Amino acid sequence: MKRNIYRIIVEALIITLLVPSILHAQEKTDSNSVQQSKITFSYLCTSNDSVCLTANLFVKRESDTYGLKNATIEFFSARDNKLLSLGTAITDQDGNAVLRVAINKLQPGKEGIISYQAKFSGTPKYSEVSADFSAEPAKLRMSFNVQDSIRYLNLTGTREDSKGQEVALAKETVILYVPRLFSLLKIGEVSLDDQGKGSFEFPNNIVGDTLGNLNIIAKIEENEKYGFVQGTSTINWGVPKQYYKAEVPSRELWTPIAPLWMIVTLIIMLAGVWAHYFYAVWELIMIKFTGNNDKPTL
Amino acid sequence: MENNEKQLLKEFAPQIERTGVQGYIWILFLLSVIGLGVFAFIQQVTKGHVVTGMRDNVVWGIYIVNFIFFMGVSYAGALISGTLHLFRTAWRKPVIRMAEFITIISLLIGPCYILLCIGRLDKLHYLILHGRIQSPITWDVIAISTDIFGCLIFLYLAVLRDLANMRDFEELQLPKWRKKLYRVLALGYTGTEDQKKRLDRATNIMATMVIAIAIIVYSVLAWIFSVTLQPGWHSTIFGPYFVIAAVYSGSAVLIVAMWFFRKVYHLEQYITKKHFVSVGVIMLVLAAFFGYFTFSDYLTKWYGSEKNDELLIQLLFKEFYWPFIISNYVGVLLPLLVVGIAKLRTITNITLTAVVVIIALWLNRYLIVIPTLQSPYLPIQDSRPEWSIYSSTWVEWSLTAAGVALFCLLFTIASKFIPIVTVSGNVQETKPEDVLI
Repeated sequence: MKRNIYRIIVEALIITLLVPSILHAQEKTDSNSVQQSKITFSYLCTSNDSVCLTANLFVKRESDTYGLKNATIEFFSARDNKLLSLGTAITDQDGNAVLRVAINKLQPGKEGIISYQAKFSGTPKYSEVSADFSAEPAKLRMSFNVQDSIRYLNLTGTREDSKGQEVALAKETVILYVPRLFSLLKIGEVSLDDQGKGSFEFPNNIVGDTLGNLNIIAKIEENEKYGFVQGTSTINWGVPKQYYKAEVPSRELWTPIAPLWMIVTLIIMLAGVWAHYFYAVWELIMIKFTGNNDKPTL
Repeated sequence: MENNEKQLLKEFAPQIERTGVQGYIWILFLLSVIGLGVFAFIQQVTKGHVVTGMRDNVVWGIYIVNFIFFMGVSYAGALISGTLHLFRTAWRKPVIRMAEFITIISLLIGPCYILLCIGRLDKLHYLILHGRIQSPITWDVIAISTDIFGCLIFLYLAVLRDLANMRDFEELQLPKWRKKLYRVLALGYTGTEDQKKRLDRATNIMATMVIAIAIIVYSVLAWIFSVTLQPGWHSTIFGPYFVIAAVYSGSAVLIVAMWFFRKVYHLEQYITKKHFVSVGVIMLVLAAFFGYFTFSDYLTKWYGSEKNDELLIQLLFKEFYWPFIISNYVGVLLPLLVVGIAKLRTITNITLTAVVVIIALWLNRYLIVIPTLQSPYLPIQDSRPEWSIYSSTWVEWSLTAAGVALFCLLFTIASKFIPIVTVSGNVQETKPEDVLI
């Protein structure tokens, strides 16, 4: 009976340990088949006569997505059903491949729209995949002026017509940001008029660098015709950043030593506690020495 | 060894000498759950923390909830056993050993969840090499390690008489190595007057220390939260609130352990309704205190109308409605009703109430950790929507179940090593005033 029980226990333990391994192996076997890769394609017109093309290559496993590293993405511009290669880029650890292309290298189609394609040719393990995007290049320019002690940021949006002439980017909404530590802080929105111009009363309480410099980013986001357009500029309109310096040691991470009261409290508490521990252990040692193992009480 | 102690050991001998089929099935079940936890842990180590629900915003999940819960249960065990010992409570003998086991086993399991939560275990030693006294995390590391030593010494002192009894009881059919182990661990204790006095003195001192340390250590754990400016955490009553919640949850765990061992080892003669009612009354008083602290904490937050506190309370009453109700209403009112009304005061009712209290107190810790991290002062930007909301995964649940299984397994093993009810109970004890001063 007892042997049977031991056998059952041993068998159950083996099964418990093996089942996950078998499942894992099964998972690995499944992963040998060609996996469906996916691609997302984004576009940013940076207003300095270039566009930034970003493709993100990934696979979906269970409910999570994993970027594919070191994959080659080829970028094309399409015109009259012909693909013109713009270049290639290698994906990083997140699966992102970025290519910057000068606008003068691109050939607009009818109505000035340029079509782009990002393509991953596939590997024995991951399937081929491509994505397309079309947009008309546009520009955002910023200028600054002060009027009656009020600071104004002036925006001008332009695009090129079929003759290559700059024309106004009318009735579009531009969002203004300043970069912060982790992300972009939105400071306002401007609607461009028929002449592609707009103005924004600049706030005077935004913290800049130690000299008060602020990077300002103007963006047209997810526009059906122009996609993402971005213009950047720097102006000395921020509040100069001042670093706080503690006069006496405090709890801050950058202080070299803890406050004296904290060190004293800790030492007193630990000394008090450990002194009692040692006393208890000492009593145990004394019990050991005053007793006799060989003389049971029974 | 006195005759009644011999009699008691005779009764407990079968449980210590043999393990029945049911016992093996129980151990096998626990090992299987722990095995699942090991598999989940391997997944986490090989694939990274992406297999958990923790992301950039909610960086603490149910691992931290489990950590707080187990540590709370441990401190409760220390407080209850220390207090019962110091006050020489008449009914303590059958339950005090369980409280001591609860203390030490929970204390060993709780910190493991911190290790599961840390992403870079390879840099764990930096805590020692580069620890800063200003950091509450350092306070916690110092406090927990100090507490582990203290509780181990206290447990050892508490079981020393029984270890000597086990050594001296020759009728026990045990392998040689176990007999030898008892002989070594008993430290030559033969019950001389000098030894008794020394043991009582050391036990009383350590009982006082474990109470004090339990309060300090759990307060330190509360301060990790309350010294931050996070909504829901920045509260001056968090220290005592945590201590009360800890003892409350621990009293409930003690009741469940009493019920379990009473059934399994047929201890109906030793663990009676009186013991359930006595620990139940402790639970009732703690429920009232817990309710008072909870109400006080949320009332001041709600009345203060600070924007983020209001958002947090809205979140608790919307997204976390049922956990909030179970934790703060059911978990408080049920013990008051069941233990408070004499007709409802049965062993089964008190045990079922204790189970509800354990669930409520676990949810209470969940509500302290997760909703606050989901509603920080700085707005969550440029993040995937699913990353701003915490949803625990099977890996986390498996490791949670493994922790509970390990707790039960160690409890079972401990009960096989030393009687679950104190055998040396009838020995005349030195009065506390004789040895404390």
